[in-house]
Amino acid sequence: MSTYVLVAGNAGVSELVAAAAKLDGPVVAVVVGADEVVRAVAAPGVDKIVWLGDPGDRAVEAFAADVAKVVAADPGVVFAGRKPAERALLGAVAAAISAPVVTMPVEIAAGQVTRAIAGGIASETRSYAGPVAIVSDGGAPLTGGGSTSVEQAAASPAEVTVTDLRPNEVAAADLGTADRVVSVGRGLKAKEDLAIIEALATAFKAELGCSRPVAEGLDWVARDRYVGISGQQISPQVYLAVGISGQLQHMSGCRGAQLIVSINTDKDAPIVAESDYILTGDLYTLVPALTAALG
Amino acid sequence: MRIVVAYKYAPDPQEATVASDGTLDFSRAKAIVSDYDAVAIEYGRQLADAQGAALVGVSVGGEAAAKPVATKAALARGLDEVVVVSDPELDGAGSTRTAQAIAAVVKELGDVELVLAGDSSMDVGARMVPSVLAGLLGWPMLSDVEKVTLADGSVSVERLVSEGVQSITAAAPAVVSLTSEAVKTKAPGMKDLLAAGKKPVAVKSLADSGLVAVSEGTVTARAKLDGPARKGVVIDTSDPAAAAAELVNALRAAGVLG
Ligand SMILES: Cc1cc2nc3c(=O)[nH]c(=O)nc-3n(C[C@H](O)[C@H](O)[C@H](O)COP(=O)(O)OP(=O)(O)OC[C@H]3O[C@@H](n4cnc5c(N)ncnc54)[C@H](O)[C@@H]3O)c2cc1C
Repeated sequence: MSTYVLVAGNAGVSELVAAAAKLDGPVVAVVVGADEVVRAVAAPGVDKIVWLGDPGDRAVEAFAADVAKVVAADPGVVFAGRKPAERALLGAVAAAISAPVVTMPVEIAAGQVTRAIAGGIASETRSYAGPVAIVSDGGAPLTGGGSTSVEQAAASPAEVTVTDLRPNEVAAADLGTADRVVSVGRGLKAKEDLAIIEALATAFKAELGCSRPVAEGLDWVARDRYVGISGQQISPQVYLAVGISGQLQHMSGCRGAQLIVSINTDKDAPIVAESDYILTGDLYTLVPALTAALG
Repeated sequence: MRIVVAYKYAPDPQEATVASDGTLDFSRAKAIVSDYDAVAIEYGRQLADAQGAALVGVSVGGEAAAKPVATKAALARGLDEVVVVSDPELDGAGSTRTAQAIAAVVKELGDVELVLAGDSSMDVGARMVPSVLAGLLGWPMLSDVEKVTLADGSVSVERLVSEGVQSITAAAPAVVSLTSEAVKTKAPGMKDLLAAGKKPVAVKSLADSGLVAVSEGTVTARAKLDGPARKGVVIDTSDPAAAAAELVNALRAAGVLG
């Protein structure tokens, strides 16, 4: 029985390969992607690659049924990352082999998975008689160098065509590797006021993060910067939350931080109970004061 | 033509409490049509009106999902009818089991051009039901969608991916999950609630759906996850400059000022 890692157009699956290697059987990467992706995924820990081809103009999602077919021929535990195309491939596999889906895994062993539930306030361990489909953070890109065999498999992708891509104006952010993150929430009153938060982030040598509504809805900050159950899940040394109430869905993205500092007008906001340092007050006076103290 | 909206009637997890043995208690949590599924219903209503299609809600859950208060709440948001697969076995069902039950209903309904779903459920947030459903139906899966156009047997979408805004055209039918902000929702008014009471509701059990649901494993342990213990130091902010200095000193002492 093989253990599978699904690769959806990018090689950022190092964490998944590491987790798969701990289970029984060879680790098989099922790849939809260009040849450079195949070369990168041919890395130590990956025993075999089944390559379904370069999607070209098609969306990776077009290959969902092909990926499912590969796994269904010899069902085993399947891993995929949290990105949209990765989820689409994993869903098709779970459907084809009738496997339960596990998200937010904490510990994975043969026939048994512990996962975080209810946004991370509790965990649950289940034993499974058959394969499971696991969604987890993909991790850094693999960079080749393995003695991996590559098998090309025929694919009959569905009609799902990418007709246009309007690139983001801002560069992609990587909150995951930042030691310090200054994150802003709806406590901010206007987009122009972001300047004071950005000044603090600069003085603090921190990346800028935010709560979901600030990125989606208000559109003040790029979407890849929001923290939470559906956004970035980070564990920096310091997480400084400014004008963020600390709803469960937000906290499940930053609870791993070594230190949490909150600035909030409401001393009873949920984030206060989860903070190491609590500054109760108006961000419009406290943030500039903090920037000055750091400068 | 039918447009289906898959929705969940779910408790607000903010109100959930966890006992020291890891057991969750949702009894204080009020159940509602999950926030982002309300977005999908509103979006579906506008699309169905433009297409002259019927808008059918499909929901899967325990007994609560089939109660009139639950179906009315969903219908009041603009659905024409709902089909609920309700069974104690489906209370807290995982993504695969849930998708299997939805797929059974979609197949039985027939003439479905599109299944819409919200970004994620508010209580679990696995974001996997639409993908498994698409796999079961053999339809394309398109997530993170802001805009949907249906025309001549194809579905065109604009979706937010990490590289930017991607336009995709796929052969219909398809499964589409929307962003949380694809459309603004509004609270249903008294008129909507009254009308909801007169709309058709079909309730099926797991047995009626003809489904042999996937095994979801056996729970062998539960635990409360406390996360790192927090210091809970309240810094006096009556003098902002002094408060800032105190915080900076504390962070410097902890060795976390880069
Ligand atoms: C399925 C689902 C998934 C979700 N996923 C995420 C997710 O991944 N990430 C996420 O962040 N959210 C997520 N949410 C949304 C989440 O539930 C909250 O709505 C959101 O996190 C709240 O954002 P906020 O704290 O910025 O805003 P609010 O809750 O409005 O809080 C604003 C805070 O600012 C404070 N404030 C106001 N004025 C000032 C001032 N002048 N100075 C200082 N403080 C001030 C207020 O006291 C308040 O605490 C999700 C929701 C759902 C339903």
